[in-house]
Amino acid sequence: MSKKNNPLQAVRGMLAGGKQNFIIILAAIALFVVFTLINPGFASEGNLLTIAKAFVPYAILSLGVTFVIATGGIDLSIGTVCIGSAVLAGALCKTGVSQEDGTLWLTIPIILATGLAFGLINGFLVAKCKIAPFIATLGSMLFSRGLTAVVAEGVRNMSSAVKYPTTGWFQKIFTNLNGFPIGLIWVLGLTIICMIVMYKTKVGRYILAIGSNEEATRLSGINTDKYKIIAYAISGTFAALAALFYVAANPSLTLAAGNGMELDAVAGVYIGGTSTTGGSATIIGSILGAIILVIIRQGLNLAMAGGVGISATNITYAVTGVIVVGAVMLDVLKKKSAAKVKIDAIDKAEKVGTETKG
Amino acid sequence: MGETILQMQGIQKYFSGVHALKGVDFELKAGEVHALMGENGAGKSTLIKVLCGIHKRDGGSVTLFGKDVNFHNIAESQAAGISVIHQELNMMNHLTVAQNMFVGREPRKGIIIDDGRMIREAQALFDKIGVKIDPTIKLGELTVGKQQMVEIAKAVSRDCKLLVLDEPTAALTQPEVEELFKIMRDLQAKGIGMIYISHRMDEINRISDRVTVMRDGEYVGTVNTAEVTKDDIVKMMVGRVIMSDQKEASTVPADAPVVLEVKNLNAGKMVKNVSFQLHKGEILGFAGLMGAGRTEVARALYGADPRQTGEIYLNGKRVNIKTPEQAVKNGICYLSEDRKRYGLMLDKSVADNSAIASLDDFITFGLINDREITRVSAEANAKLRTKTPSMEQLLKNLSGGNQQKVIIARWLMKNCDIFIFDEPTRGIDVGAKSEIYVLMEELVKQGKSIIMISSELPEVLRMSDRVLVMCEGRKTGELDIAEATQENIMQLATMREEN
Repeated sequence: MSKKNNPLQAVRGMLAGGKQNFIIILAAIALFVVFTLINPGFASEGNLLTIAKAFVPYAILSLGVTFVIATGGIDLSIGTVCIGSAVLAGALCKTGVSQEDGTLWLTIPIILATGLAFGLINGFLVAKCKIAPFIATLGSMLFSRGLTAVVAEGVRNMSSAVKYPTTGWFQKIFTNLNGFPIGLIWVLGLTIICMIVMYKTKVGRYILAIGSNEEATRLSGINTDKYKIIAYAISGTFAALAALFYVAANPSLTLAAGNGMELDAVAGVYIGGTSTTGGSATIIGSILGAIILVIIRQGLNLAMAGGVGISATNITYAVTGVIVVGAVMLDVLKKKSAAKVKIDAIDKAEKVGTETKG
Repeated sequence: MGETILQMQGIQKYFSGVHALKGVDFELKAGEVHALMGENGAGKSTLIKVLCGIHKRDGGSVTLFGKDVNFHNIAESQAAGISVIHQELNMMNHLTVAQNMFVGREPRKGIIIDDGRMIREAQALFDKIGVKIDPTIKLGELTVGKQQMVEIAKAVSRDCKLLVLDEPTAALTQPEVEELFKIMRDLQAKGIGMIYISHRMDEINRISDRVTVMRDGEYVGTVNTAEVTKDDIVKMMVGRVIMSDQKEASTVPADAPVVLEVKNLNAGKMVKNVSFQLHKGEILGFAGLMGAGRTEVARALYGADPRQTGEIYLNGKRVNIKTPEQAVKNGICYLSEDRKRYGLMLDKSVADNSAIASLDDFITFGLINDREITRVSAEANAKLRTKTPSMEQLLKNLSGGNQQKVIIARWLMKNCDIFIFDEPTRGIDVGAKSEIYVLMEELVKQGKSIIMISSELPEVLRMSDRVLVMCEGRKTGELDIAEATQENIMQLATMREEN
């Protein structure tokens, strides 16, 4: 065992880990420049604020679902749980009836509880009922979409939009503090919390261990079911958190707003470099992935604004698809070249070990 | 023995600066079984990979049937008559035996697969090599030994002239080994040359005609098996002699307290009413054939699998263990026979793998102290002499023996009292093997107790204080080491229930 190798190796590890982040940052800057060249309005203060506002809920969704993906799972329910919980709470609390609705504060615990509840249900289905994560969360995606609509219709007798107040303390806390996009501060804080949880606590360590080899983790005396449920609970709760920021920025919302949100969030996580099979996760990567996707969406929106008759939304879907597959393909290629080295790394490690030992 | 079919000379191979093969010579004659030996990391697998085209050689020559060859992939070497039976079989458990044998070259009628013909041909092949396997059952229902024979039949059907067997007996029971040897002798008579990689000395003596030994990527020498002793070969491999005598008497004092007692354990189909006691400082060997239910006893006791009935007492107190978590809390740990599936996190570091069970000890104010983990892991692994460049090294880059040591370090750090070792030295080279033996002896000296499941009788006889023998899920006997012999253990291990 050699002590002097340790710091060197650590530095090398950091560089290797940070490399993908570096590429994403470069890509984001390049996209930014390109979109500004196409339409100088892209770099305007107003547009940057729009980007910041759109970015916040996606970033939070991505953060939460990173924990589930790190276990080797997936959570498809976050989009509908996010919007569904907001619709549910809005309907129950009759928000938006007047600007100073007294029960607005009550939506916050209702939204968070709804998200947590769906997260726990997902976790229970996956961990205890052994249902494949894709199926379990597909089920709760459809279920949450339907259930919240039914409740909203029943309570409010309305099927179109739930309205939240457009200005007031809710906005000041979650989206616009006297012109400052306060959501960014929240994202920063949540990112730091997620990094600590993922890398420095038992929860994160066990979640990554489960993603690496679940059975080995269980046989190491760890209650793997519990930590899987925690991962889904984090994902559900973050979906609900995202809802707060979403409704603050988009006070009039329909259920359909949540459709496809989960895919964007998951795409951001994959672009960021979290392993599709679990075991390794990058919180910063998930944030950067969300940034890229939002820049592309808004950039294409503006670029198409000239009125060429093509829907920017559809172009965005197509581009996002290509980027996700491309990012994961890069990951696969990286692993492949690593595997090639691995075939004989056993021989090599033995040798390196002998040398450093002697 | 016939004419030379393979001649490898001065083979060189570099991996990003590491000189993995330093001019290795190897020769194989038709109808010869040529053993290739060396500790893990000696370069045996690399040599085989150069032969069958997985790796490109950096120097030297390969002559096959008198022609210079340089294969670029497995398909090319297969077409030239080389087949490799890997230690870990890569087959499709959900398909039938016949489907596995003919995958990719199914006999067809038009565009429809001709199942009837496929089954008939498979059956004919089995008859030819003399094994009884029903080609219509799912491969997964066969024992590992039978699966291996399917692989061999597959190789024969491809008209292979040169067969490489990479540790074929690692997972086989004695009767299965005998069956394999019979098949190998038949193939020999048919003029097929075989390269045989194994760590088991007894087998090398019985089956091989010549032995080539490698060490650290170098060619040490080739000898006729009949002219050398086991010790000679071991000396060539490691430069030292390894003792493998039987323990003469139990080292456990007569008044040693019972730390673990299992009463009437029933679990699944494989564990039928098993009861036993384990004393402080004792190594209790679990002997038996593959599929005797030994692993299942361990897993049920450990809470890894559910059990129907049975009481577990720790130091006289009844405990209810339903999950591995509860077992570990009670000071029991289990080291699985299948490390890759049940033990290792291959893409995690040595430190992560070492500390996973004892993470609670490294938490202050809710945060993990990684520096402390590295320090303690390094200590535990230094004690075990794990060969790794650093604690940050990913586990997949370590050899089998060193991976096993990291898992042992995991449980040393947890400070367990009862260790269940399931095939502790499977797939591990001679040097690391004896180190693991020494470690087990040290553990019992410290007052720990060990259950050791092993299919290698010399290992059972060398390590155990007492031997428990199982057959078909039942305990068929218990022997003090002083009275245990290979013969009476085998007798108990084959004591099937009469119906």
